[in-house]
Amino acid sequence: MTTETETQTDGETETGTAVYVYGIVPSDVELDPEIRGVGDPPASVSTVASGPIAALVSEIPQDAPLGRPEDLSAHAGLLDAAAAELPVLPLRFGAVVSDVDAVKEELLDANQDDFTSALDQLEGKAEYLVRARYDERVILREIIGENDRMGQLADAIRGKPEEATRNERMALGELITQAIEAKRAADTQRVADALADLDVELAARQPTHDEEAVHLAVLAEVERQDELEDVVGELAKEWEGRVEVRLLGPLAAYDFVVTRTPE
Amino acid sequence: MTTAVQPSGGGGGLDRPSSSGLADVIDTILDKGLVIDAYVRVSLVGIELLTIDARVVVASVDTYLRFAEAVNRLDISDTEQKGLPDLLEDMNSGGAKAKTRGALEAAGDKLRDILGEDEEEEEPTGRGRKGR
Repeated sequence: MTTETETQTDGETETGTAVYVYGIVPSDVELDPEIRGVGDPPASVSTVASGPIAALVSEIPQDAPLGRPEDLSAHAGLLDAAAAELPVLPLRFGAVVSDVDAVKEELLDANQDDFTSALDQLEGKAEYLVRARYDERVILREIIGENDRMGQLADAIRGKPEEATRNERMALGELITQAIEAKRAADTQRVADALADLDVELAARQPTHDEEAVHLAVLAEVERQDELEDVVGELAKEWEGRVEVRLLGPLAAYDFVVTRTPE
Repeated sequence: MTTAVQPSGGGGGLDRPSSSGLADVIDTILDKGLVIDAYVRVSLVGIELLTIDARVVVASVDTYLRFAEAVNRLDISDTEQKGLPDLLEDMNSGGAKAKTRGALEAAGDKLRDILGEDEEEEEPTGRGRKGR
C-alpha cells in the first residue's frame, strides 16, 4: 500500500512523497503560484495534465498526517475558489496517489472521457448549498400547537423531573422528531419549488442536525447567482424568526459528481 | 482566485457567509465528491479515521429526551413550576409504562428507590429515601 515513489529524498530518509489530488479541471487552467494547499507548511499546488484535462495536485510527504482543520479548509477552499471560475470535479478529501505518473495514467488517462464530459456539463455552473435550521422554541411551539396529543404530553411532563416522566418524554420526543421530519420535507420542497424557475439541479442531503430545516445542494449557473440569492432571500425573509437560512457558494459541485462503480 | 461573494439582496434573514465554516466543509468534503479507485490510492495516516461518516441524526432516545426537555423548558417559562408534592403524586404514571429496556428500567428502579414503595419495599437497599 505504501509504495515508495518519488526518489528525491532517497538515501537520506525512508520518507517518500506522495501526490495529493484535489480535483480535476480543464487543462487550460492558469494557477496562481501563490495558491497553497494541504499540509504543514501548506504545500504549493500544481497541475498534472493529460490532454484536455488536468488534476490539481500537491506533492506531500508520505508520512504526513493529513486531516487537520487547516487541511480540510485548504482542500475545500481551493476547489471552491476554482469552481467560481471554471468547471471542477472535486475529489473527496484524502485522495492520495503514489506519484505524478499514477495521477496521469491511472486517474486522468483511465477516466478521460468521463471526466471530459463531466467537466463540459459543469461549464458555467457551480454548487450552492442551502442550509436552514429551525429556531427550537419557535418550531416546538408550532408543532405542539398543531397536535393535541403532544400538547397533553407537554402538560404531563411540565415541571417534573426526567426520571418521573420518562415515558411521556419518550413519547413526546418521538412525536416531535416525526413532526420535524415532516416539516423538514415540506420546507425542503418549498425551497425546491421556489428554485424551479432558475433551471437548477437539486440534490437533497441528509440532515446533519435534529433541527435542520433544509439541507439542499443546488447546481446553478454562476451567472444567475443573483437570482438564486433573491429567491432564497425571499424565503429567508418569510421564515424570519422561525428558520435561520444560510446560502453557501459558489462551491465545487461535490453533490453532482458521481463515482462510477467499477464493473 | 478568491471566493469572496458579496451579499446581493442585503439582509432579510438570509445568512450569506463568504466562505464555508469548518462544519460545512466537513459535511461536504468527507462525504461528497469523487472517490478514486482504491488500487490507485495510497494510504495516509489519519485518513481512514477521518472518512468515518460524520453525520448524525438517527433519531434516538437521547434526541427524544432532549426535545422533551426543550418542551419542558418552554412550558416552565409560561407557567409556574410544580413543587415536590406534585412530583411525587405524579410519579406512578411515569414509572410503570416502560416500553424500552435498559436505561428506562434502571430509571424506574431508581425512582422506586427514591420513593421507597413498590413491591421491592420488603427488600430495602439502604440507599432509598422515603418519599412520603
